[in-house]
Amino acid sequence: MSEMWINMGPQHPMTHGLWNLRIKVDGELIVDADPEIGYLHRGIEKICEYRRYNEVITLMDRTCYVAGIAWEQLYIMAAEGALGITPPARAEYIRVLSQELQRLSSHIIWYAAYVQDIGLMTPFLYGMRDRDLVLDLFQSYTGARMTYEYMRVGGVRNDVPVGFTDRCRKVMDWLDGKLVEYEKVCDNSTIFLDRTIGVGILKAKEAIQDGITGPVLRAANVARDIRRDRPYSAYPEIDFDVAIHDGADCYGRYRVRMEEMKQSVRIVRQVLDWLDRNPGPVLAEKVPRFVGTPSPPPGKEIYVERRGYPKGRGFSSMEEPHGEAMAYIINEGAEHPYRAKLRSPVFVNIAAAKDYLIGYRISDIPAIMGSVDVCLGEADR
Amino acid sequence: MTGTALSLSELPSALAGKFPGKVTPVPGRKDMLAALKVLPEAIVPVSQFLRDQGTFEHCALVSGVDWIDRIEVLYHLWSDEYKGYLELSVDLPADEPHVASVTPVWSGANWHERETWDMLGVRFDGHPDLRRVLMPEGYRFHPLRKSFELREPEELEVKARHV
Repeated sequence: MSEMWINMGPQHPMTHGLWNLRIKVDGELIVDADPEIGYLHRGIEKICEYRRYNEVITLMDRTCYVAGIAWEQLYIMAAEGALGITPPARAEYIRVLSQELQRLSSHIIWYAAYVQDIGLMTPFLYGMRDRDLVLDLFQSYTGARMTYEYMRVGGVRNDVPVGFTDRCRKVMDWLDGKLVEYEKVCDNSTIFLDRTIGVGILKAKEAIQDGITGPVLRAANVARDIRRDRPYSAYPEIDFDVAIHDGADCYGRYRVRMEEMKQSVRIVRQVLDWLDRNPGPVLAEKVPRFVGTPSPPPGKEIYVERRGYPKGRGFSSMEEPHGEAMAYIINEGAEHPYRAKLRSPVFVNIAAAKDYLIGYRISDIPAIMGSVDVCLGEADR
Repeated sequence: MTGTALSLSELPSALAGKFPGKVTPVPGRKDMLAALKVLPEAIVPVSQFLRDQGTFEHCALVSGVDWIDRIEVLYHLWSDEYKGYLELSVDLPADEPHVASVTPVWSGANWHERETWDMLGVRFDGHPDLRRVLMPEGYRFHPLRKSFELREPEELEVKARHV
């Protein structure tokens, strides 16, 4: 049969965002794939060069619309490295709390959307219901459900409100039961098992060579987790296990995310206990004034002249819900970065689409690309 | 992986012995295992050496910086053995910068190099498919060059990406 190219996207129910998967098919069989992205490119790295450090926090939320706070922290950690600022311990713990709540909400929405793609409708509603409980927690201490603007150079904007830790514990207790329920729904469904086991296999050697990170890599039995291997924030003091699976298929990625959610609940409980015992400041004292001040009105630019701040390079890397995210900031003494670079794990995970897809059939594509968990906001930046 | 892995302390001297005069350490980078300045012609052999003997099997990032008088291309490598990052940097002339591609060494560098070409106009010789990745085909600028002003009208002449 003659081969032909098909565009799946940019508007296609499988894509969960705006991108185009071009596939070359021989009948139903995929023989080549060429993903195209860039539809959501907003030039965030360029804009960063024109904004002071705190002025781009709001943009970082929009980098990834399901894991905004991860990107806030990523950028802020790199900026702190470039400027030589250390946040107080309580701020670091609140950051870890935020990261794990974000991982929960991101993985839950992945679960909801993925299982619906596969053909199970009810878990979608379970997932959306429970994700809102996590987002309510976010709202109670950051003021927003998804675009938080909460991290600051030198700490976080405000402490958690009175009674937050108890409220958060209640949600974690609720999730304990619900996560088991999620697994039961999938593991007892022959539809789900048939469509995920042995589908979209990407073995460890290939995955490492392709630069794959995050749950997709851990599902290929590689125990790499930046939180443990190169700990940042308060992670050195946190006790948790790295979830791995040896399936290297869609089912393995599902199992890894399920286990990660349980570990996140475990981490959140540890952080809450710590927060109860250790009151303190959440913002470092000696933060340069220009970092936090708003833009001057026109004609008053004198306030934004160079302050002679030390030149430096800041680098941060973290385990974002989708994988290894990195930020690289070069400070040349001005109040905004000379160069800011963001590494998106999804960018790389999409680039390897060919390796997941070749040899499978068109009907496997939603199952395979869904299991990678693509978020185009962060791939395109 | 071929050969036995070197320990981290042996790595700089092994590199200096294998590539005399081509690799110089950059001091003062506390957040990396090491930062090395590499001559452009040595980037592929050094990469191969680091992957095979140095256990840096994961190429996390390839990016670039426009210093106006030169373009710096940065490579960040991760090793599961040492649990940390290694930074390589290459200085290229500002007009028509080009350097050998490391995609044959790490296929994960493929899209990072495409993005660096797209954003900074660095050509990667030997890259299998050096097209723009974020900006549309037919776009005339490399937006992360310092000569590209943010508020300048772009006079877009964008062709359809595919017909």
